[in-house]
Amino acid sequence: MAVIEVEHLHKRYGHVTAVRDVSFQVEQGEIFGILGPNGAGKTTTVECLSGLRQADGGRVSVLGLDPVRQRDELRQVLGVQLQSSGLPDKLRVREALELYASFHRQPADPVELMHRLGLAEKAGARYKKLSGGQQQRLAIALAMIGRPRAVVLDELTTGLDPHARRTTWGLVEQVRDTGVTVLLVTHFMEEAERLCDRVALIDRGEVVAVDTPAGLAARAGQRQRMRFRPSAPLDEELLRALPEVAEVAWHGPVVEISGTGNLVHAVTAQLARAQIIAADLRVEQASLDDAFIALTGHPDTD
Amino acid sequence: MSTVLHFPRRGLRTLTAIQAKLLLREPAALVWLGLPIVLVVVFGNIPAFLTPAADLGGKRVIDVYVPTLAAMVPLFLACTALPMTMASWREKDVLRRLSVSPVPAAGMLAALVAVMAALATAGVAVIVAIGALAFDVSTPGNPGAVLASFVLGAAAVLALGLLIAARARTGPAASAMGVPLMILNFFASGLYFPVAQMPHLLQRVCEFIPFGAVTAAWSGQGQLWQHLLVLAGYTAVAGPLAARTFRWE
Ligand SMILES: Nc1ncnc2c1ncn2[C@@H]1O[C@H](COP(=O)(O)OP(=O)(O)OP(=O)(O)O)[C@@H](O)[C@H]1O
Ligand SMILES: [Mg+2]
Repeated sequence: MAVIEVEHLHKRYGHVTAVRDVSFQVEQGEIFGILGPNGAGKTTTVECLSGLRQADGGRVSVLGLDPVRQRDELRQVLGVQLQSSGLPDKLRVREALELYASFHRQPADPVELMHRLGLAEKAGARYKKLSGGQQQRLAIALAMIGRPRAVVLDELTTGLDPHARRTTWGLVEQVRDTGVTVLLVTHFMEEAERLCDRVALIDRGEVVAVDTPAGLAARAGQRQRMRFRPSAPLDEELLRALPEVAEVAWHGPVVEISGTGNLVHAVTAQLARAQIIAADLRVEQASLDDAFIALTGHPDTD
Repeated sequence: MSTVLHFPRRGLRTLTAIQAKLLLREPAALVWLGLPIVLVVVFGNIPAFLTPAADLGGKRVIDVYVPTLAAMVPLFLACTALPMTMASWREKDVLRRLSVSPVPAAGMLAALVAVMAALATAGVAVIVAIGALAFDVSTPGNPGAVLASFVLGAAAVLALGLLIAARARTGPAASAMGVPLMILNFFASGLYFPVAQMPHLLQRVCEFIPFGAVTAAWSGQGQLWQHLLVLAGYTAVAGPLAARTFRWE
């Protein structure tokens, strides 16, 4: 059964159409990503399915509930971390968790949650004194405090340093491992590749593609590229003879070969036959990044 | 209806307790609560304020000022503390985060009002106690009328403060509306200039400003029921309007 169903969602702000036509389904237990450039309508989409905004068209159902009409029931089963949200500067970590716990019928234990999210030694710290990473961990904790069946996380790791970002990814996986369905909004390809089971790519208010991260990358084309420094003079024609090879170019002592199919295997086998070693070998596969640009027609502007 | 079903009562209690704690962590709380108390003590130690004055109809200055200073407490809280707290929460997206939790808007406002009302009661009680015990100030006129008008007056300004709290987008916007409201009430209550010495028309106008009505009820000026009705009217209109027009962001 789909946990979140969005069908032909449409939302305007005055004259601006933020979401034109968005449809996707999030299945039980998966981490589903919404990926897209700035202003694509990602936040608007999750705000509609969190019951914060009323859609102008289409149908949204979350855990079988209508987010606007059954808003109060939804609040008890859906945890939400908004892109822009805060806490009072002088509120302490423990107080924040106890406060939000008191809003739910069957809350998680604040102390246990603080331990799980590495906030235990910050229990008495004021919100303002927390680092960005700690504030985000608290945001996850608050989204989880009501023992939700699904959570929405909007740009969880934006503004975090790479280390904190990786720690946060681990936490999101932990959340998923407890059986909670996760809807994750991001514009980091790496994050989507690492975390998401499936991704919806949104551009200018419309879904461009819904697929696994690998599937999306594959759609961008099978093109691969490899670069290396041959240990002995290399006859270019040996490489051009391979059906997988499309182009060969030299950058000083380094050769760059691009092509399709099982390019890496074909080239290394040929080199082995010629008893040449490929030093400093680097292989680039089409990534989600390439898919993003290929499918939206422009790079992420962030 | 469903709001009540889905929001545990415990939530409202915790929210109220946390709001009280946060408020007392603000240095400004010392001004809201401490200033009127300090003023009573200071005024009570000025010998001239303790001798009956002919132009006050034989009352002492301290007799006139204790009620006025007591009125400062709910006015400070309702017109500045309440709207500015809520507006700063709105400005910092604290309300946005609360809006995705099960807290209903009315619950937010109710918790904040409960805190303000409790603080106001405590502040007024301290001032009245100091006045009565240390400086022998007695309740003027009819104690029932005094109490009723004071409670209704505090409720009226809290409701007005709540309306500002429900709407103002930023702290400065909240104080731009709250501070004039407070000054108007101070004026009408005779803090700056005794009401009895104002032109007649102005005195009548003051009776329609919450703390002007309280002061009038207190001093036995005009019809008591009219003053109480004015005060109840403010609460009845502004309170529900605040809950209905509450803005989360
Ligand atoms: N409250 C609002 N009022 C008016 N326009 C808005 C509002 N919120 C968003 N928009 C507009 O709607 C469009 C989609 O915005 P949205 O915030 O959903 O994009 P996003 O994909 O989340 O972008 P980002 O990656 O920057 O967070 C943008 O053009 C934005 O300017
Ligand atoms: Mg966004």
